[in-house]
Amino acid sequence: MNLYNTIFNGSEQALAAAKGAVSEAIEKHGREHNVAFPDTAYSLPCIYAATGQKMNTLGDLEGALTIVEGLVNRTHLLEHALNAGLATALSAEVIEAVKYATIDAPYSEPCAGHITDPIIRSLGVPLVTGDIPGVAVVLGECPDAETAAEIIKNYQSKGLLTFLVGKVIDQAIEADVKMGLELRVIPLGYDVTSVIHVVSVAVRAALIFGGLNPGDLAGLLDYTAKRVPAFVNAFGPLSELVVSCGAGAIALGFPVITDQTVLEVPMNLLTQKDYDKFVATSLEARGIKIKVTEIPIPVSFAAAFEGERIRKND
Amino acid sequence: MDKKMMTIDLNSQAMLDKAAKDGVETMYDRKLSMKAQCGFGLQGTCCRICAAGPCRITPKTPLGLCGADEHVIVGRNFARMVAAGTAAHSDHARGIAHTLSLSSRDGNYTIKDEVKLVNLAKEWGVETEDRDIYDIAHEVADIALMEFGKPHGVLNFLSRAPKQRQEIWKRYAIEPRAIDREIATIMHSTHMGCTADIDSLINLSMRTSLSDGWGGSMIGTIFSDILFGTPTVRQSEANLGVLEDNKVNIILHGHEPSLSEMIVLASEDPELVALAKEMGADGINLAGMCCTGNEVTMRHGVRTAGDFHQQELAIVTGAVEAMIVDVQCIFPALAKVAECYHTKFITTSPKAKIAGSTYIEFTEETALDDAKRIVREAILNFKNRDKEKVEIPQLKSSTTVGFSEQAIIGQLDRVVNSQIDQAGTVKPLVDCLKSGVLRGVVGVVGCNNARSTSNKAHVTIMKELIKNDILVVTTGCGASAAGKFGLLTKEARSMASKGLATVCELVDIPPVIHLGSCVDCSRILSVVSEVAKFLDMDMCDIPVAGVAPEWMSEKAVAIGTYVVASGIDTYLGIMPPVAGSDKTVEILTQTLQDSVGATFKVNENPEELAQMIIQDIEKKRVHFEKLVEEKMNEEATVEA
Repeated sequence: MNLYNTIFNGSEQALAAAKGAVSEAIEKHGREHNVAFPDTAYSLPCIYAATGQKMNTLGDLEGALTIVEGLVNRTHLLEHALNAGLATALSAEVIEAVKYATIDAPYSEPCAGHITDPIIRSLGVPLVTGDIPGVAVVLGECPDAETAAEIIKNYQSKGLLTFLVGKVIDQAIEADVKMGLELRVIPLGYDVTSVIHVVSVAVRAALIFGGLNPGDLAGLLDYTAKRVPAFVNAFGPLSELVVSCGAGAIALGFPVITDQTVLEVPMNLLTQKDYDKFVATSLEARGIKIKVTEIPIPVSFAAAFEGERIRKND
Repeated sequence: MDKKMMTIDLNSQAMLDKAAKDGVETMYDRKLSMKAQCGFGLQGTCCRICAAGPCRITPKTPLGLCGADEHVIVGRNFARMVAAGTAAHSDHARGIAHTLSLSSRDGNYTIKDEVKLVNLAKEWGVETEDRDIYDIAHEVADIALMEFGKPHGVLNFLSRAPKQRQEIWKRYAIEPRAIDREIATIMHSTHMGCTADIDSLINLSMRTSLSDGWGGSMIGTIFSDILFGTPTVRQSEANLGVLEDNKVNIILHGHEPSLSEMIVLASEDPELVALAKEMGADGINLAGMCCTGNEVTMRHGVRTAGDFHQQELAIVTGAVEAMIVDVQCIFPALAKVAECYHTKFITTSPKAKIAGSTYIEFTEETALDDAKRIVREAILNFKNRDKEKVEIPQLKSSTTVGFSEQAIIGQLDRVVNSQIDQAGTVKPLVDCLKSGVLRGVVGVVGCNNARSTSNKAHVTIMKELIKNDILVVTTGCGASAAGKFGLLTKEARSMASKGLATVCELVDIPPVIHLGSCVDCSRILSVVSEVAKFLDMDMCDIPVAGVAPEWMSEKAVAIGTYVVASGIDTYLGIMPPVAGSDKTVEILTQTLQDSVGATFKVNENPEELAQMIIQDIEKKRVHFEKLVEEKMNEEATVEA
């Protein structure tokens, strides 16, 4: 197994899928068809932050994919592996943008899909104050619903903001995890590409709060690595595409912790087979220290439960 | 040719101008007057081992008088170089082992690393429970001293190699038995009318060289750590700019730390410091040169004045009160250079007396007193310094040094996730190699050689390797070159590509890490061996290589040979005297691949050599990654 080749393969798959999606959409709707995510001033935020270019039409996306293609260089150096990971992220954003451009409501309950600017602004203050000590991106499929719930609730009780991608959403629902923005658990979508909506949060945080100039890719990566305390938990078998997404996360400075056997990279790509230690491993990997005052009460206690509504049936 | 073109070190160039002005002859002058060197010698086809000769091989005289052909002559000459190199390292080690046997609680030499000693004692079956540490030390020292001439068995440290490697040594009958015995056997077998088979001569050379790497040098390193402390990470500086204007400048040159450690101690003696002030100096400034310099910079952060090619140039500054030397790589020309200035050239070892020097014998029994006498001599000489003749070149670079195996593991612990892994292993390094974040690790070692431009090949190759995500470890004068050119600083990671730069940042190391002196090449063997054992692979399976870009001494030949015999490909920037025998060339560069899994490769162009290494590391990775995958599949099957 060659980790870099896996990443490069995944990036090429993502790129091919994005190209297919764009050309299919153009065939149906024409080059001039509008492209936009709802409620954002940052166009396609990842592409905008990385290149400084705003995407307005499907035709623009074709051009963007040429730039993305330029990021995939199969030379076996970390720099190229990370760039390929970013390429995957940008391809994912293109695919998601095509969804929003061509489908009326691409996401429905429980999935959130694209996160709007106002929500990101509302998250800004608690992120800066450390009230939200970290951002967990949980994707894939846990061995069972209980494990998924245990891990998600653990993050919740520590006040982290948790995004869910893939089958783990169903597992969380099955295990009765209460979700919603105010509860700091946000299911994004079932497709791997929907993970871009959390990347987009980190990227817009850099643009909004970091005052970063669009197009300053190095500055962006530095900001996310230093200021956005995010990490990824990837469960279940990892496709080349997912590994390639992981490289994108690592490029942004977000460690990836998985339950699968992979070629580990210290501090960045770690295998943890003991689910009881998953949360501690992840927090340590991202350097998140939580000031805890344990209160011995029989229910979970954290800021994440502040917005919880008690319904009649409960 | 302009002499200044013969080195890329700007301090050296300035000192060459000064030497010309002062009418001092240096190695660079002698190199130019040597003109074209003899082709027979360069090719290794000249034989002087009996009085019927000298014989030389030409198309018209294809055999020597005894009938030895070019392969036999070249092979014998090569084997004797290996024997000499092994002898040098091993006598060095013997000295240190003797010093350990003299150690005592209230003596000059004490035990600094008890843990290392106790571990070694346990490895060697020495009783450690409820025993005085010095009793243990003396018993361990005796066992080590027996390694030089024990009548039975093979060297103890061979068992530290991966078992696959030990089997190869056994299969090809190159397991060294006793160190001196292997050296003597070579001298015997290369006598007139003895071995006349090139394969056998190369095998003898490998066996003898292994008695250096896994014998003499390894003993030298481990025992020095036990006696003087295992190096830890520290800051220092390098190049002639470390000499001070108004201090008594003492240069420590040579190899054995038994002397230099005592000089370090003596230079801190309050009485002697007071004497220096009495003489009008601000204090005593110790600086190192060559491998003694590496030893004291690794353990005390003593600054490095320069490398092999700068030994005369240091004196040319006119600011050196004493050049204190012991053994190995000391230009006899120093006696003459010192005469042109006030510098006292002080020899100390009965193993290396030099005509024209001041001889003050140093013995381990009276070590500190001897050291004080020598330092006093230097201090008293301060008044003789001719200020008119002083010119200290200003350049110096900061360095981070002290990377023993333990210090490396200590740094690696910084990136261990405590929820997953234990601290204190090479796993983080292994993971970086497996994932490809680091493409490989290359040891850049060796000397300076007047046949190439001083420091150019070292620096070119190191820079090229780190630009390709290859971690560089360095020892000897390679380390001095790296230090002088700023490669031993943590900031140097800006010269590295992303993978290596990231590793350097996380682990908090420079992209080129200083492992010590030439005997400390054994540290490289230890690290590669640990990595191989961690992966349950042989050393020849790991994407690592050794390179001696500017090698010169017979010690370098022994080092290169034991590195190849340990399964690590070795690249040379200077052609060894073997070109006269196509069979020897074929064995060294090809056939050895089939037996020991590694070969020599030679290219005198440093840029090309660097590219060769990088390409070969990538080729090796294909093999390595296949093995990694096999092992992962095996584990998965076991788990299932």
